[in-house]
Amino acid sequence: MNPLILKGIRENLRPKHLIAAGLFSLIVCSTVYLTSYLEGSEGKYSKDPQTKEWVKGESSPVNGARNAFTFILALQGFYLMFLGTGRVASITAEERESGLLDYQRMTPMNPLSKIIGYIFGIPAREYYMFLFTLPFLGHAILVGKLPWGNIIQLYSVFFCSVILYHLTAHAVGLVVPKPRAASWVSRIVVLGLYVVLPGLGQAGISFLSFLTILPTYFGKILPIIREEGYQKRGHFDYEARIADFWKDVPFFDFAISPTTFTFLMQGLLILILLITGYRKWRNQALPALSKSSALFIYSIFQFLLLGCLWTFFDKGEASGLIGQELSANEFSGKEEKILGLILVIGIFFSLSFLFILCLINICCPDRHLYLKGIQRIAKFNLARIPRIADESSGLGLMLILTAITLFTYSVLIKLALHSDAWVLNSSFLSLCLIPAGTLLLAVIYLQASREIWFNLGFWGFVGLLWITPLLASLVLGVGWGEENVGLILKLLAINPLSIIPMHWMYEHAEIVKLPQEIAQNINSAIQFGLLIAGIFAILLQSRLYFIRKK
Amino acid sequence: MIQVQDLKIHYGDFVAVDNLSFSVKPGSVFGLIGPNGAGKTTTIKAIATLIEPTYGEIMLGETSVLHQPEQARRMLGYMPDFPPVYDDLRVEEFCDLFAHAYGQSVAERKEKVEKALAQTELTTKRRELCKSLSRGMKQRALLAKTLVHDPSVMLLDEPGANLDPKARIDMRKLLRKLADQGKTILVSSHVLTELQDLCDEIGIMRDGKMVVSGSIEEITQRKKSSRKLEIELLEESHQFTEFVEQWPTLSELKKTHDTKAQFEISHSGGREEIPGILSQMIEHGLKVTSFTTRKSKVEDLFLEIESGSSEFDQN
Repeated sequence: MNPLILKGIRENLRPKHLIAAGLFSLIVCSTVYLTSYLEGSEGKYSKDPQTKEWVKGESSPVNGARNAFTFILALQGFYLMFLGTGRVASITAEERESGLLDYQRMTPMNPLSKIIGYIFGIPAREYYMFLFTLPFLGHAILVGKLPWGNIIQLYSVFFCSVILYHLTAHAVGLVVPKPRAASWVSRIVVLGLYVVLPGLGQAGISFLSFLTILPTYFGKILPIIREEGYQKRGHFDYEARIADFWKDVPFFDFAISPTTFTFLMQGLLILILLITGYRKWRNQALPALSKSSALFIYSIFQFLLLGCLWTFFDKGEASGLIGQELSANEFSGKEEKILGLILVIGIFFSLSFLFILCLINICCPDRHLYLKGIQRIAKFNLARIPRIADESSGLGLMLILTAITLFTYSVLIKLALHSDAWVLNSSFLSLCLIPAGTLLLAVIYLQASREIWFNLGFWGFVGLLWITPLLASLVLGVGWGEENVGLILKLLAINPLSIIPMHWMYEHAEIVKLPQEIAQNINSAIQFGLLIAGIFAILLQSRLYFIRKK
Repeated sequence: MIQVQDLKIHYGDFVAVDNLSFSVKPGSVFGLIGPNGAGKTTTIKAIATLIEPTYGEIMLGETSVLHQPEQARRMLGYMPDFPPVYDDLRVEEFCDLFAHAYGQSVAERKEKVEKALAQTELTTKRRELCKSLSRGMKQRALLAKTLVHDPSVMLLDEPGANLDPKARIDMRKLLRKLADQGKTILVSSHVLTELQDLCDEIGIMRDGKMVVSGSIEEITQRKKSSRKLEIELLEESHQFTEFVEQWPTLSELKKTHDTKAQFEISHSGGREEIPGILSQMIEHGLKVTSFTTRKSKVEDLFLEIESGSSEFDQN
């Protein structure tokens, strides 16, 4: 057995823990199960149309068991996904802070075995508590006549999600210094995965919704539960809509089962976290991702974006509840169509930008790492730092990532220009040039600032440059909006994320019925934004050059 | 066995270790001494593969720590300056965890854990939870864990820091015994007298640099003013100060007692000169009640280095 799993069992499952955790789980589980089972199986009162009297319906064990199934699933999720995730993060952070992790780092165990040992050993007590839910689960499946095939799919995704969350918690524990903070950060990450990203998923970028068990639950379990229980009990229509939505995932011109898509998405994230964990276990000082793995992961991310947005740009159809509202077929006028398109393009660029920003932070060397590279090439008599090394400048990689983003964007624009669903009155070139320039300049100055300053300086710079003008424009907009439109737009344009939707608005000013004056203001704001980005790109790259020369 | 060459470690703009070079012979004990922030712990962590140096080379025999860290880790046993242990594991489980992690079979583990517990006198505490141990006992448990995979190189950062006097003596004896068995030991400490008795060689660090290294005898001989004269007069006299200032090989006059006229002077001349100094003092009318000579101890050297007043020639 893996020594770290054995350690986890020894630490967490001594007799006193076995009794306390077992009793706790048994009491909670039986209460939850019996309550939901009895509530679900009870016949409901309905008004007899003839006698006009309230009549109690027949009791149904099947309905009771199906009702209880969801509650047991939620309890299992609470044990493993909430409690377990918090524990993995806090213990990892505690051990890192105390130095215990250093002992483990020094053992000759394979880093992968160490990661497995941590993510399965630390939550040993939570897995033990999970065991107590199994008899109730078995009862719910058998009495509720739930098909085993769907249950197996759901629990495969459930454990895949658990591994993903525990791996995330482990990575958070390796990075966030304070144990309590690490525990809460990882729990917030899990909640974010369940709330924030599925929200974006509903806006058409469907792959973001597939990081949880919800798609498989809604797609594979909810329709069955509805068949017997919910339909008879006359529940609301929105459940039917949810169940319909999760049946298949549109990806390019295909439809993929939610389970398969969830496995793909979670598998990708697990791969990223394993790479990070492996590198951090090998050497704490290594960046979380190497340049080559960053390139690989970003390419997959763009491929997923392209696949999910394909039908939207090609046929004007979007997945997701909001996406359906936004999609071209739902709109009557050109104006609404373009606004929907601009929103989705804004989300595409925001996600790509934020991903690149994270990779700049991870893969661009700070001055310390770069200096290490310089001293190494002197030692090994090399002409330059190898481009793929962690110590080498990140400019090349960032330019490649920019090119990949622009390629994806240009494919989407081509689709939209050739589609009957959209009416665009701009050329391919005019729609591509400004976004390309914006992205390029922003990436150039961000890479330089990361390599000049350390963490605090870099994030401080990004915060000041991107957030402060937004806040200032908000204040101006509320207080003196009408007389300062030009200034507000200029402030907004300092943030490159705003330039692209602005450019689209300007390009389609006639369709969206933009007044001439506002359109001119937008145009000058875009030019101003590009000028600022250009100045920063030149200044910071020159400074970086001189620092390195020195 | 341990060869550190041109080691540089930067933390951002701060240089923690600067061009450090030293070597430790197989089966010997090398002591690293230095004030807080001198770079001792950073150096030990770099040898332990826990910090990647900015520049330089660290070899354990033929194994490069930087390029073959996995092989190097098999040879290394590391004990940090504070004793973090797994609180909810028993002492024997704590040792067993590491024996297991080093790939030993069940039978081997049992034997090695037994031996390590016996060496550190923890056999009677084997069933106790680590959290119930005193700091000193935790330190021992940590040493037992370090010994359990039988490393050929041991890196011990302040090993006596949490121990009572008897435990320190026991630890010293144990380390000496381990060195005699062929283990190479690099130890850092602020308890200088301990290192003086334990180490075959020492290195004194300041500001990330090795100021001096070698055997204690070599170092004290290398120092120009390696002898101290401890003198007590019946009463204080300004003539004494003048006498010291005029004598060319005497320097660094220090009063060592608040109420009595006790002094300490550095003497850089030969041993044969000392009787002459005493007789000249008496001729000058100084009422000498006590006159003793002693060689500089590591502690004196360390204090001089810490204050930046040492005059070592680095060759």
